[in-house]
Amino acid sequence: MLGRALQLPIELTASVARGAGRRMGDLALAGLDAVLASRVAEEAVDRALASRLADHTVDRLIDQERLIDETVTRLIESAELWVLVDSIAKSPAVTEAISRQSVGFADQVAGGVRERTRRLDTRLEGAARRVARRPPRPSSESP
Amino acid sequence: MTPKLVYEGLATRAIAFAVDAAVINVVAFAVAGIVALVLSVLSVPNEVEVVLLGVAGLAFFLWTTGYFATFWSTTGQTPGDRLMRIRVCSADRGEPIGFGRSVLRLVYLTLAAIPLLLGFAPILFDDRRRGLHDMLAGTVVVSAPEEPVAVSPAGPSRVRTPPG
Repeated sequence: MLGRALQLPIELTASVARGAGRRMGDLALAGLDAVLASRVAEEAVDRALASRLADHTVDRLIDQERLIDETVTRLIESAELWVLVDSIAKSPAVTEAISRQSVGFADQVAGGVRERTRRLDTRLEGAARRVARRPPRPSSESP
Repeated sequence: MTPKLVYEGLATRAIAFAVDAAVINVVAFAVAGIVALVLSVLSVPNEVEVVLLGVAGLAFFLWTTGYFATFWSTTGQTPGDRLMRIRVCSADRGEPIGFGRSVLRLVYLTLAAIPLLLGFAPILFDDRRRGLHDMLAGTVVVSAPEEPVAVSPAGPSRVRTPPG
């Protein structure tokens, strides 16, 4: 009974809160549109771009780019990097991966050759046996 | 249970033999080239050159015989056979043949090649795909599937299985 009595005011409050939230959001967006459409916003942006702050920010960004370039150049020129690259290249994991890939490719090629020669064997044998009028060979047997 | 043997045919065996011939000749040419370069800077009398040619011929014969006999009598597979996944084994027990029998098989193989390769023709007709040299040496050439790989913490390694 008490639950049902409380349910109605709670639902009413929630509904009012939802409506108020939507209304406030709409008002905020309308306010933002008004500000952006005004000459004040345009003037503010123009002034900001004309200020020393914008120049300073651009200069900072260019300086940072130069710093990154310089860091990369120094890194490439440093002997330590090549020692690191050498040690990675010579590491068992990398060499094993490369050799496994090479062996895998060679094995794949050899597998293709094997398959074709076995097909050729069957054809040659079939043709020879037909010419000699002999029955087909049994496929396999124990020694 | 005795595993079923799959006998290998003429084309597969010919490719394996061609690979072995390439290996033998590449090594022989490399050694001959080195020896020829060394001799080119030395003034060797003609008589000695004749003797050296004889020695080179004998060395080539021994190298070829040793190559086939060693591989056939140990693993039953030359490098060419390994590439084509085939192996030579005794016809009765399916095991690798001995060194002496391997040398004999090579002699029979040479004999089979002399009459315009006609000694290899029985491979096409015989139920066990045997050439003349196989019949004379009591051998067969069978399929040798890849051995299973056992993965251990130290890395992959081949599991040795008894032949046959």
